[in-house]
Amino acid sequence: MTSIRVRLLASLLALLALAALLMGAVTYRNVLAETEAIFDYQLQQMALSLRDQGEISPAQADSIADAQLDFVIQIWTVDGRSIYASRPHSALPARALLGLATLKVDGRSWRTFSVATRERVIQVAQPVEIRQRLAAQAAWRSVLPLLLMAPLAALVIWWLAAKNLAPLQRLAAELRSRDERSMAPLATGGLPDELAPLAQSLNALLERLGRSLDAQRGFVADAAHELRSPLTALKLQLELLRRAGDATDRDAARAAIGEGIERATRLVEQLLALARSEPSAAVAPRERVDLAEIARRMVAETVPFAASRSIEFELSAAAPAFVVGDPVTLGLLVRNLADNAARYSPAGSRVEVAIAADAAEAVLTVDDAGPGIPEAERQRVFDRFYRRAEGGESGSGLGLAIVQSVATAHGARVSLDRSPQGGLRAVVRFPAARREPSHGVNRP
Amino acid sequence: MRFLLVEDDRMIGESLQRALRLEGHAVDWVRDAAAADSTLASERFDLVLLDLGLPPGQGAGAGHADGLSVLRAARARHDPTPVIVLTARDARGDRVAGLDAGADDYLIKPFELDELNARIRAVLRRHAGRAEPVLSAGRVTLDPATRRVTQDGTAVPLSAREFAVLEALLARPGAVLSRAQLEDRLYGWGQEIESNAVTVYVHQLRRKLGADFIRNVRGVGYFVDPGQ
Repeated sequence: MTSIRVRLLASLLALLALAALLMGAVTYRNVLAETEAIFDYQLQQMALSLRDQGEISPAQADSIADAQLDFVIQIWTVDGRSIYASRPHSALPARALLGLATLKVDGRSWRTFSVATRERVIQVAQPVEIRQRLAAQAAWRSVLPLLLMAPLAALVIWWLAAKNLAPLQRLAAELRSRDERSMAPLATGGLPDELAPLAQSLNALLERLGRSLDAQRGFVADAAHELRSPLTALKLQLELLRRAGDATDRDAARAAIGEGIERATRLVEQLLALARSEPSAAVAPRERVDLAEIARRMVAETVPFAASRSIEFELSAAAPAFVVGDPVTLGLLVRNLADNAARYSPAGSRVEVAIAADAAEAVLTVDDAGPGIPEAERQRVFDRFYRRAEGGESGSGLGLAIVQSVATAHGARVSLDRSPQGGLRAVVRFPAARREPSHGVNRP
Repeated sequence: MRFLLVEDDRMIGESLQRALRLEGHAVDWVRDAAAADSTLASERFDLVLLDLGLPPGQGAGAGHADGLSVLRAARARHDPTPVIVLTARDARGDRVAGLDAGADDYLIKPFELDELNARIRAVLRRHAGRAEPVLSAGRVTLDPATRRVTQDGTAVPLSAREFAVLEALLARPGAVLSRAQLEDRLYGWGQEIESNAVTVYVHQLRRKLGADFIRNVRGVGYFVDPGQ
């Protein structure tokens, strides 16, 4: 019984049945009490007028004649001889109890009234079931209109329910007719008060879904577009290898292809990293982690690349700096800042990574001696695939976008500035983790 | 032929420059919109290969945001140099905008080098007002696609530089090209020009194709006679 219409209908019918039952019972009881009083009085009047006048008054003669009422009059002599019976009624007892009495004879109940004179005993009797039948008939008559009304009420309710549920049907039809791309809000006009909140909630959900879908579509389009550059380079490099005239050309072409593959690989890795760090990605486990420890590990990973360019790394992290977050994406953040610094630093320079913490925040700072980023561009460099004109490096254009995305997911703020060495200073401010781990596991 | 390559991607730029040089073209390469703009305004090229997604570059005005604006600026200067757009932007709107801005052809990255070369030849052909793909003068024919030169149906082997000089002269038979103009076709920036290189190549071409195939106008330059 999940249909609202069926439920309404069943409730209505049950209610009607209950009302009919109640009404019938009450009517029966009242009518029975009334008929008892009336018939008892009649029994009494008949017996008394027989005793006093020796005949039945004309008013009561009708009742006697009415076979429906089934009155039986018997007269006996004092010694028990029957001298009169209005009808032969073998079932009736041959003896009488004086006054009003209820007798049970052969399973049938009789109401009797008997009076005695010196010579005779007069008894007027009536089967009790007559009274019950009359009460039942009265009860039935009172219930009948209700029962006749029931199918009509059912029809009306069925129609009313359909009419009132129509907006719901329309809503369902509108949703059903949509394909997976249409995120337009549902029309809320004309919806009943009970349904409007549902439509509004659905609209809010649609809007969120639409935004996230757009973001993903944009990301995929951007990614596909960006993959074209390394693929174009690879194609050309392969063509050059094919056309290489001598061993020197071939070696150069092979080296170039290696570089091209390296670049495509890095781009794919960065795309994956970005996808992972997007707020819409599956919620990563959050734990209390030491930023200094992560920085140590990530700087260690960057050092070989830096060393190949004669760039020195220096990490200053005097004390642990706890933040709550996902160690994997936090690692990506540090790694990308360190990589960027190494990539753009001149040979022989030094990249300084520092971790500082106080009660309120944990701060990661990466300073390099590279060309820096002019103030006008400091906002744009966080855009996906934004590449600066100078520098000559074919990076993926994703590094800072990843940093930004991870930072946002951790409630941290990233800012760019000029480093003391004249290059770029990147600062990430994390809210500090509370002293006791709020959730997750503490690191040993 | 002397090409200007406008491409911000280092790997693509390097490979394209090398590949086009293998075809015997002189290729100069700039990497941003501002440099493309100033180079096109001051020098003459036979063809421009233009990437649309360009960084603005140093000192660029707001109007020089990308390759499309470089193209529009060149056309606004009435620069007739043929332009092939090379880009990763493949939406139809982008292609239409590129062609409408004055591009002669449009090639989507990643592309085949063979296709690029064929389109370069086609654009150059159209630009020279020719329909037939083969250049010829008198008994000599030159096929830019196969890089074959024949005289009376017999193949004449030429070096890449000799081929380039001959191609330039056959492009418009009868037109006189100065030594400097021919040098332009042979050497890009940063390539050292050997002194009297053009004289040497012309001499070798005359040796292979007949002494009076290439005529000399003293003090002016060289030409091939269309009517011979």
